[in-house]
Amino acid sequence: MNSQPRSWGGMSDAVTLTLTTQPARTLVADCIAADRFAALDAKEIAALPVLHGGRPATLGEFFKVRGERASVVRIEGDCERVEAIGTGMAGGELVIDGNAGRDLGLAMSGGRIDVRGNAGANTAGAPAGAARGMTGGEIIVRGSVGDEAGARMRRGLLVVTGDGGRGTGKGMIAGTVVVFGKVGPGAGRFLKRGSIVALGDVAWPATFGYACTYRPPHVALLLRYLRSRCRVEVTEAQVSGRYERYSGDMAELGKGELLRWVGEDGGA
Amino acid sequence: MKINGVAIEDTFAEAFTMRVARLVITGRTLRWAREAAVKLTGFATSVIGCKCEAGIERELPDSETPDGRAGVSVLFLTMDKASLPEQLIVRVGQTVLTCPTTACFDGLPDAADRLPVGKALRVFGDGFQASKLIGGKRYWRIPVMEGEFLIEETFGMVKGVGGGNFLILARDADAALAAAEAAVAAMTGAPGVILPFPGGVVRSGSKVGSKRYTNMIATTNDAFDPTLRAITASQLPEGVNSVLEIVLDGIDGPSIEAAMRAGIRAACRPGVQTITAGNYGGKLGPHHFYLRRILGEVVA
Repeated sequence: MNSQPRSWGGMSDAVTLTLTTQPARTLVADCIAADRFAALDAKEIAALPVLHGGRPATLGEFFKVRGERASVVRIEGDCERVEAIGTGMAGGELVIDGNAGRDLGLAMSGGRIDVRGNAGANTAGAPAGAARGMTGGEIIVRGSVGDEAGARMRRGLLVVTGDGGRGTGKGMIAGTVVVFGKVGPGAGRFLKRGSIVALGDVAWPATFGYACTYRPPHVALLLRYLRSRCRVEVTEAQVSGRYERYSGDMAELGKGELLRWVGEDGGA
Repeated sequence: MKINGVAIEDTFAEAFTMRVARLVITGRTLRWAREAAVKLTGFATSVIGCKCEAGIERELPDSETPDGRAGVSVLFLTMDKASLPEQLIVRVGQTVLTCPTTACFDGLPDAADRLPVGKALRVFGDGFQASKLIGGKRYWRIPVMEGEFLIEETFGMVKGVGGGNFLILARDADAALAAAEAAVAAMTGAPGVILPFPGGVVRSGSKVGSKRYTNMIATTNDAFDPTLRAITASQLPEGVNSVLEIVLDGIDGPSIEAAMRAGIRAACRPGVQTITAGNYGGKLGPHHFYLRRILGEVVA
């Protein structure tokens, strides 16, 4: 994890940001995006603007920067107070070795964010007042997420290996949210299209209608992809198992779905 | 040149450039994947009458399929770019979509030319269909009475080779059939190759056009018909009383060559007199498979 990024001809394999000064207050670091770093040298990255407790600062005041001009970015340290990492990210790969604050992958449109810890509220969500959240790419949180993860998501994939908070996937327009743990109340409320796949406990809103219990072929394909390409722990029973399908939100378009895993022989 | 006493004629098989797609069909069990594949590739022996040529390439273990279920890979060929998607849309829609438990995936993911097969078939969902992007590939979920049919949005198309062939000239019909069966067994499952005719074997090899009927594209290959030996310019050596042909289509020339090598060797058995090949003097097809060159490495 602490390997020095190799540098050749002004480029590196990866840019590593190491949290050296734990922020005393909330640090809004919406400048951190893997594709953006591909065009910046180490000094330029360190000089990127952040907001610490509402006051202007630079990224270099909190993070040591190693490597430059790479679209693979690794963040080391507990970034629970660092918000809006990966905002508007359109490509590349961002790995966070620790927790991440709220607004992770805000309005992200491409690339992959891999969090080796928990992430805060509004992960893969939309900026305040915006109609759309994440519009593409993949976010994998190998832990739990806060409230309203995937809210107003338009496309893309959010995977949570732990628990989801309240209102997971609220107002989704399309895309997929997979939660391996417990999903908080209000999941999928105001869903237009899109899929919420719940491998653990979930309570579906009253405005969802039960459709059937079946083996959705795309879920098997997705889970196998997560297992083989993203190294997410998936059991064979989850891949080949049956799922209850709830359509909703009937208060909206009603073309979305909540798929609840009921085991290999569960349900019908 | 002789193999096991069977003469290998100094000639070549003449083949054509075709457009090819590879489909991977999976099912709840291998049986259902095969059911769909057999229907899909039915009546697809020759472009002369079927507008396409297709066959099962091989059975796939669950470790080789995208969804981890048993599957079958199918090669599908047409003479031109435009007719391949037309044929695929019609046939997949009627045979794979309709078959219980199956899903349909692209077997040529690196091909630059993409055919919008799933994209066209999605409308069967009447607006209830939905798409999913998984690992950079788009899939369509089409609701059906059984549950859902999953199909990849696009399928790859590459230039392939159609019409690789060799002829088994035998003492009698039984010997010809036994040799053909041995050849087919040796070529079955060869990667990148299909044998589009029934059981992989053709008894009615054809020549271009007709001596008598102007509207016929192809008619019997009278030069190799033993019953016409006395009244045509026969090419049959003395002692030959039956001929069977093996036709091969494939992804590329090397795949065809490898299969021909295995098939011809297996066909060289008692009762077979000569192995030869069909060609048009080299003027029609750009791919020439010289029998002796193909077999050169393996002949003692």
